[in-house]
Amino acid sequence: MTEPTPSAPSTPVAKPRLPFGLEISGEGLALRILLAVLLSILCAAALIAAAGHDPISAFAALIAGAVGTPHQIGVGLNRTTPYLLAGAGVALCFRAGVINIGAEGQIAVGGIGGAAAALAWPAALSPLAIVAALVGGALAGALWSAIATAIYLGRHVHEVLVTLLLNFVALLLVQQVLAGPLGQTGAGFLQSPLLPRESWLPRIPGLDAHPGFIIAAVVAAALSLILWRTPFGFALRVAGSSRKAAAYAGFSLSGITWGVMLLAGALAGLAGAIEVMGVHHRLIEGFSLGFGFKAVTVALLGALEPLAVIPAALFVGLLEAGSLSMQRQIGVPSALVAVIEGLTMLFVLAATVRRT
Amino acid sequence: MTIDIIAAAIRIATPLLFAALGGLLSERSGVFAVGLEGMMLAGAFAAIIGASATGSALGGIALAIVGGAIIATAVAVIAVRYRADNMVTGLAANILALGLTSYLLRVIAGGGAPASIHLDPLASWPIPYLSDIPTIGPLLFDQPPLTYLAVIGCVLMSLFLRRTQAGLTLTATGENPEAVFASGSSPMRVRMIAIITGGAIAGLGGAVLSLQQVGTFTDGMTGGRGYLALASLIVGRWTPWGAAIACLAFGAAEALELRMQTFGVPVSSYIVQMVPYLIALAVLAGIGRSSRMPASIGQPLPR
Repeated sequence: MTEPTPSAPSTPVAKPRLPFGLEISGEGLALRILLAVLLSILCAAALIAAAGHDPISAFAALIAGAVGTPHQIGVGLNRTTPYLLAGAGVALCFRAGVINIGAEGQIAVGGIGGAAAALAWPAALSPLAIVAALVGGALAGALWSAIATAIYLGRHVHEVLVTLLLNFVALLLVQQVLAGPLGQTGAGFLQSPLLPRESWLPRIPGLDAHPGFIIAAVVAAALSLILWRTPFGFALRVAGSSRKAAAYAGFSLSGITWGVMLLAGALAGLAGAIEVMGVHHRLIEGFSLGFGFKAVTVALLGALEPLAVIPAALFVGLLEAGSLSMQRQIGVPSALVAVIEGLTMLFVLAATVRRT
Repeated sequence: MTIDIIAAAIRIATPLLFAALGGLLSERSGVFAVGLEGMMLAGAFAAIIGASATGSALGGIALAIVGGAIIATAVAVIAVRYRADNMVTGLAANILALGLTSYLLRVIAGGGAPASIHLDPLASWPIPYLSDIPTIGPLLFDQPPLTYLAVIGCVLMSLFLRRTQAGLTLTATGENPEAVFASGSSPMRVRMIAIITGGAIAGLGGAVLSLQQVGTFTDGMTGGRGYLALASLIVGRWTPWGAAIACLAFGAAEALELRMQTFGVPVSSYIVQMVPYLIALAVLAGIGRSSRMPASIGQPLPR
């Protein structure tokens, strides 16, 4: 497929590229990402050493804290779940050339949807409560994403600005519903009443994790299939590498955008509902703070390949789960994890840029 | 009551205005300023460290400039030199700044607990004679030093953008980097300098928060003000005075909401806090990709 000759003196059509320069099939891409991760870990080690601690024992404590016992693995898997679900959706959007950074808000609104569905679901139908709450979360997330998409496509506003601004509206919306219709009066802080027990996600025996991670991993595999094995996936890949080529081939750009945005919104919403139903068992203020931004991190770290987002999300989730042990045992502040995340993201951005 | 609200609006708007002015430089050169939050936060942290280490507010202000510029340098290198997506780079810088300031705050104290450094907030500098004018005097001419600096910064920024060669080159880079390249300047250099200088200015916004208004630093104390500054930049349509008016309007809305609550008017503070973002969205939806927005914003430089 050839692009109609562009009038601008841009680079000729070669291999598929993403709009902001991430290579889809670059040689040594995985190696470069690994190097970026390694570099950020080295920086973190330097910071630990500068604080007067031994980096090796700090990282050992971190790893032991993350995977030392089944309970701790469970905690790590629970943390990984929202990053993986939302991150896989973000990866698909980026592949299609839609820079959606609205996962933060979509997760928050998904939490509202999940909690509202769980609280409103009639007790007579309680065996279906979990499904209802999950669907409620996914619908809410998709709805929030639909608002962004409508403004983006309808008014030609840059998608990053729309999704970014709506994130803050969504976070405030959580506070608003907790101060109003969904709130527990007299709780002292913003939270909903405890959800009915039938809507709690079960625990995996022996692991202390809810099954969210399994759902998320299956979703990531399914997205990978969609991306590589379906006409929709082909269309979105073409759209991501060249909008002109996609239009020339007769693909509907707005259709592709709606598709990936609704899918990503639903997955982020699902992540929010799972967090509410599996971890807190109620909607609480700030339950999802930073999740959506980390979803962008893991999408990039996974080179926008849904299957590779699984190890990327595990890396971030387990890192966070283990950081408290590192703080307790060695005295290295757990905030170091955010430093590693930020640096990794920057280094990966630099390492995956095209160098033609 | 009105006087109160205006005073509070000025107070709330000051850190926003610094950040917006810094962001203006970056966006006029063609790079989205999503990293403002991190630059402000680094500035707020560095201001407190600098002031307590040197024992002087000037030391704090100087270090705040450095702190903001450091985060901005990371953004500039990755987004301009390595041509990565502006906004994702900005997000990464924000995460990095949040982690780094929290980490260092604890390392300084030597243990797991964050260091608690408390300084006296900067005192106001009444301007002789002017501050004696009834009503207006105490309201406008009895402010702490950085508030005056914000107004001066706005004047200078306006002059810089419209009346200097460098300012015109900056704007041209945001509109059409190829033309700037053809005229013999380096768009890459322009963008990097713009981002780093903008970061330094945004760092001052952080110093307003920590050094001038609170007297201490707490984790993530900017609390989204960098994003609010981004919104005010949009609402102000990428001009210094427009941004200043937007900052004041956002400040007035917040101040008004606080007052209404104390008078028992049933208004939700959360809805009021949404207003700036909704207005920014409405402005964006209204103008679309109009000529006001720098034409090449968000696009990496051609080779």
